[in-house]
Amino acid sequence: MPQKIYDVLVAGSGPSGGTLAAHLAHLGVDVAVVEGGPVVDTRTAFNTHAMPFDFPNRHIPTMKPGVPGFDSERSRGVGGKSLTWNAVAWRYSHRDFKGRSIDGAGEDWPIDYPDLAPYYDQVEREVGVCGNRDGLPDLPDGIFLPPVPMKCSDKIVQRGAAKLGINVIHVRKSTLSVARGARPACHFCGNCMAGCDVVAKYNSADVHLKPALKTGKLEVFPNSVVREVIVSEENRATGARFLHRETLAEGELRARCVVVSCACVQSVALLLMSKSSRYPSGLANSSGELGRNFIPHFTGGVQCFLTELIGKPAANDEGFLDHAYVPSFMHQRKRDYARSFGIQFNYQNRRSVGWARAMPGFGKAYKQSIKERYPAFLTFSPYGEMLPNKQSYIDLDYGKRDRFGLPLARRQYVWGENDRKIFHDMTRWSVEILRSAGAEIQSVSAEPSTNHELGGCRMGTDPRTSVVNAGCRTHDVPNLYVVDGSVFPSASEKNPTHTMMALAARAADHIADRLRKGEM
Amino acid sequence: MESRRESLKIIGAIGATCAFPFAADELYGQHAHPPSRPPAVPEEPFQPMFFKKAEYQALSRLADLIIPPTGTPGAVGAGVPRYIDQVVSANAEHRTRFRAGLRWLDRESKKRFGKRFVRLTEERQTELLAPLSQAVDARRARTAPEHFFRVVKNMTADGYYTSRTGLVEELGYAGNTVLAQFPECLHEH
Repeated sequence: MPQKIYDVLVAGSGPSGGTLAAHLAHLGVDVAVVEGGPVVDTRTAFNTHAMPFDFPNRHIPTMKPGVPGFDSERSRGVGGKSLTWNAVAWRYSHRDFKGRSIDGAGEDWPIDYPDLAPYYDQVEREVGVCGNRDGLPDLPDGIFLPPVPMKCSDKIVQRGAAKLGINVIHVRKSTLSVARGARPACHFCGNCMAGCDVVAKYNSADVHLKPALKTGKLEVFPNSVVREVIVSEENRATGARFLHRETLAEGELRARCVVVSCACVQSVALLLMSKSSRYPSGLANSSGELGRNFIPHFTGGVQCFLTELIGKPAANDEGFLDHAYVPSFMHQRKRDYARSFGIQFNYQNRRSVGWARAMPGFGKAYKQSIKERYPAFLTFSPYGEMLPNKQSYIDLDYGKRDRFGLPLARRQYVWGENDRKIFHDMTRWSVEILRSAGAEIQSVSAEPSTNHELGGCRMGTDPRTSVVNAGCRTHDVPNLYVVDGSVFPSASEKNPTHTMMALAARAADHIADRLRKGEM
Repeated sequence: MESRRESLKIIGAIGATCAFPFAADELYGQHAHPPSRPPAVPEEPFQPMFFKKAEYQALSRLADLIIPPTGTPGAVGAGVPRYIDQVVSANAEHRTRFRAGLRWLDRESKKRFGKRFVRLTEERQTELLAPLSQAVDARRARTAPEHFFRVVKNMTADGYYTSRTGLVEELGYAGNTVLAQFPECLHEH
């Protein structure tokens, strides 16, 4: 029997792959999604409502006993990182797309806000994003469900920030503040990142993929770890080879178009592994830029106690983690660096009291000081935009293999001078805002850490300096696409997933259009 | 709370009939938060996995000095020594550190006050620990006893504030529930 040839094979089922595949299926395209991890029943699989004392070692495992694993690296499960994300959803703005034109550093995107705006609209209509229309030019408004009220502690920070002329706004999240379709509104249990078991929080498996299955156009292949994208003599992507996650049996699917959506680092790794005589240093790497321009966000942190809340009774205020945000303000002020930072805060939950270790002394006074500060504890996490540099890249470590025998991806990053300056300034401002809000500072991070991995398959117009074009298509192979955070030429300081999803919706239109024209 | 659960069901049921481009058939709204399991009652007498009887007594005393019973149980009442025994028994470095640390504690007690640590008055015990705690607070823990105290304090805090006693009874943890609406501030400012 001849093997089925799909229109499109999507490697990865996270927010990018999930959005893309669902859109394609609704556009009438035959899609196969190949996902390394298992199917995850979000309603029953996670330890969403567990407490630390339910476990003798006080560690809450992600999955319930007997539920297939949820590896952090290569195989995560159908839904990918959207299963455990915090759902913050910002639109990027002109300033984010054209940073180089504005301050001379880093790289511009080949697209601008108007190119993506209609796709942000689409995604917001589909997934439901709550937020307030703030009218800020650098944080475009969208189609929002009502915002969730700020916490008491947020308002204290807001008042402190206002004294410094700094704005604190409602967070925007792909979490329902009112019921929509089969999904109920969020009920504020505070467990978002443990996996939402009512799908009030968006995940690509329940919100995009499952409904798209009903089109009859989508097939999902779980437990299939893609190890190679196949490219023909004629320089066409023809499918992918994969290994079964448990049996390690080999599999292969064929398609007219292949999309790599494995999340930044793993997308780069898959292309680097897909070597051939035509592409000896990795597929779609004729520029030598594959893996370069790795620009994860860097974050710091301040832990503090709001003196206004010290000694107050504990409140049920975990909510849906962070309810407020400090949007970038330094880009409008005099500074000695390019780009800027924004501040996420108050997303700690009250089940974790790790800060108790660092309170001084012991005995009754120690115990009392923790009880008093418990309702007042608050964390600040500023996020800065990293500029690309030559020492920061993703490559493969052939000396280290995973259980599939595949080389492990290696992240290399070095903070540049501009990054250091932002880190220093965002830490200083965090402390300043918190002091202005009357906080007792407990600890301040001395070194940046990374989050929100981006870059590695830079989008650009010049095939010598970028991997994909403005439509997420690789410069080298005309029917091979990369759609996820790896294509970001610059990172912004804003949480990136919403933009990945808008890019995926846009790529779906491009791909469906080209299929219709017979270009694949 | 019951009525909230009911209303979730109703909202889900109505919502499912609404036009929605990616509507699924499943109802996600039927949801309950069962109370988490009550704490297991420790079978008495408890046999530590790592600590010898005298060591376990001293460790228990140490933990209760760090987080004493007040209006709520202290570290021992919250099962912290048992938690520490579990953590220490699984780690070779901790095993060495705790054995040596507890030995030092008795030696120092005998040298200064002529008795084993657990036999000292609370005043004497506190007197012995105070300089160690000060060194830890000033971030100048250098000696083995100072490091030992730091680790015991960390584990005691971890164990106590992840226990039901510490988190719910002592601190008043009120989350992990179903709220129909996110509440306005209830504090008096």
